Amino acid sequence: MRTLIISLIVLGLAIAQEIVSKKVDRVPLDPFDRAWEGASAVEVPLAGQAVTTPMELKPTVSKLIVKSINDGKYIGFLLIWEDKTKDSFHLVGQFSDAVAVQIPYKPSAEVPVTMGEKNSRVLILHWTAARQENIDNGYSDVPKVYPNYAYDWYPHSTPPYEYPKDWANQYALNYIGGEKVFRKNTLNTPVREVVAEGFGSSTWKDVQGAEGKGIYKDGKWYVVIKRAFVEENTSNPDWGPGKSTFITFAVWDGSNGEVGARKSLSYSWIPLKIER
Amino acid sequence: MAKAFNWQLKREINYPYEPKRPKRQFAVVMDLNKCIACQTCTVACKTTWTPGRGQEYMLWNNVETKPWGFYPMGWDVKLLELLEGNKKTVFDAPEGERVLGWKPDDLDWMYPNVGEDEVNEPVDIGTVLERLPHPIWMFYLPRICNHCTYPACVAACPRQAIYKREEDGIVLIDPERCEGYQECIKACPYKKTMFNFVARISQKCIGCFPRVEEGLQPQCVITCIGKIRLMGFINPPEKARPDNPIDFLVHIKKVALPLYPQTGLEPNVYYIPPINVPLKFLKQMFGDAAEHAVETYMAMREGKEPELQALLHLFGSTPRIPHSFAVGANEVIAFDETGKEIVRVPLVEPLQFRSHKDERLDVVRQDIP
Repeated sequence: MRTLIISLIVLGLAIAQEIVSKKVDRVPLDPFDRAWEGASAVEVPLAGQAVTTPMELKPTVSKLIVKSINDGKYIGFLLIWEDKTKDSFHLVGQFSDAVAVQIPYKPSAEVPVTMGEKNSRVLILHWTAARQENIDNGYSDVPKVYPNYAYDWYPHSTPPYEYPKDWANQYALNYIGGEKVFRKNTLNTPVREVVAEGFGSSTWKDVQGAEGKGIYKDGKWYVVIKRAFVEENTSNPDWGPGKSTFITFAVWDGSNGEVGARKSLSYSWIPLKIER
Repeated sequence: MAKAFNWQLKREINYPYEPKRPKRQFAVVMDLNKCIACQTCTVACKTTWTPGRGQEYMLWNNVETKPWGFYPMGWDVKLLELLEGNKKTVFDAPEGERVLGWKPDDLDWMYPNVGEDEVNEPVDIGTVLERLPHPIWMFYLPRICNHCTYPACVAACPRQAIYKREEDGIVLIDPERCEGYQECIKACPYKKTMFNFVARISQKCIGCFPRVEEGLQPQCVITCIGKIRLMGFINPPEKARPDNPIDFLVHIKKVALPLYPQTGLEPNVYYIPPINVPLKFLKQMFGDAAEHAVETYMAMREGKEPELQALLHLFGSTPRIPHSFAVGANEVIAFDETGKEIVRVPLVEPLQFRSHKDERLDVVRQDIP
């Protein structure tokens, strides 16, 4: 196992490149906006996560195309990868396609690429197709997933029992995870900001500002992740126009059972140069 | 991988975390000879804990008919295949995995009543059930979370969102840490964690911990109309107390057995096996100890186990958790943690006779059967 990890890391280093975040006037959410055309595309090789259990030993996604632009206030990433199936639901025994970028709080390649460590935090911006589906086509509530379902009555909620609308009270929510879970599910963005200091430590941030949009077209996902360099009332990585930091990527193929630690990722930090 | 001693298997097993027994361990004994599958427990649990959105399919407590009932579909058949009978524990996982498991899909959960009331095989004309065990048989298996000593769900969760409580051994999922990866659902051999796709978190039987904290037994236990259940706290065998009702049934009399002990989890729901069922099946389900358990239960029916018989009268007789018990001349008494009496149950109820003729009024009573 150790040999495998080392060889994967060496492999990663050998083909590590630089990503330049090109200066533009405005960072769009639309992956097909012309603003992306001037940015150079970098191909990032991905391999199955084989450092900690549970692993992904048979990943289906082996590369990711990355572009980055910034407008001085916001930075955006366009992420493109091939996926034969569009998996937009997170259901019983069924997972959603997803992509994430990881940036160290300190702009140093010394920060463990494996989701940081104590006192070396990383910021993860995590887009999922399931959250995009909620925004584009309404929340994946029971009637949407099981149109022929029947149920008599739910206590503390009110008909027609739509989630999230009719469940926004403490008593009804106590059955299904409480207020914080509800807030997490009802954010109007498909991208979630997460901080981590090691495997299994990733934690949803209280203040969420990242935005994004994903479109599935001709067997490929085109996903934009956008975040302000500096968000108010929360922690921010040390990055901005004219600075350099590092970045890595992870992709999940839902129909391959990929979720959480089961994913494809780029095994080493890639320098990210942000144009002024 | 650390090593943990499993007293049910009498050997060490692999476990991803350092083993640590809680101060007290939640345990339930269920007498399968008495279950009639009325599902009162199921409904009590459902209305108390899982009437929310995304919980429509969830039965934290379910009752299935064996041998053909499953919730989810085929759960224990698949388990036996994975463990190659009893050759592996679920912690003997392949490379890259934490736990040896399988993931049910949504349709697997959709048939909680499959096989209900069906016997093992077609009945020939003229079949007579004269002797125990019966050639034609079935029985009801009520199931809740086993609140295992070495939980597979805890071992499998990469986010450590699942924890075992120090004070009572109840296993809980922290909804705010859970991200719905469903690793616990894949890992739990008893399939007692379930995914809520609306809230996007996994949920499971909480052992009615708000009741247990008040010294009360869970909803499924106290509502059981067949009085087949008793909840208490179990000690490991070397610390077994003969006056603790759970220890007495599990360790002293060895009449109550864990379900599929070969999983290695040290499950803490203990079943008194049904005496109508052939031993081969019981051994597959409860291990070799099933033979002794059935013999003991049969002896009790012949009056040879008066203390055991007395203790069974405590089942369903009090909502409070009995910590110890004593048997009197014609009664069994339960005590709480402080030694205070909580219930006193007569073993034989006094009989009252009324003659069919009321001599004083010189009338015939109409209400005498």
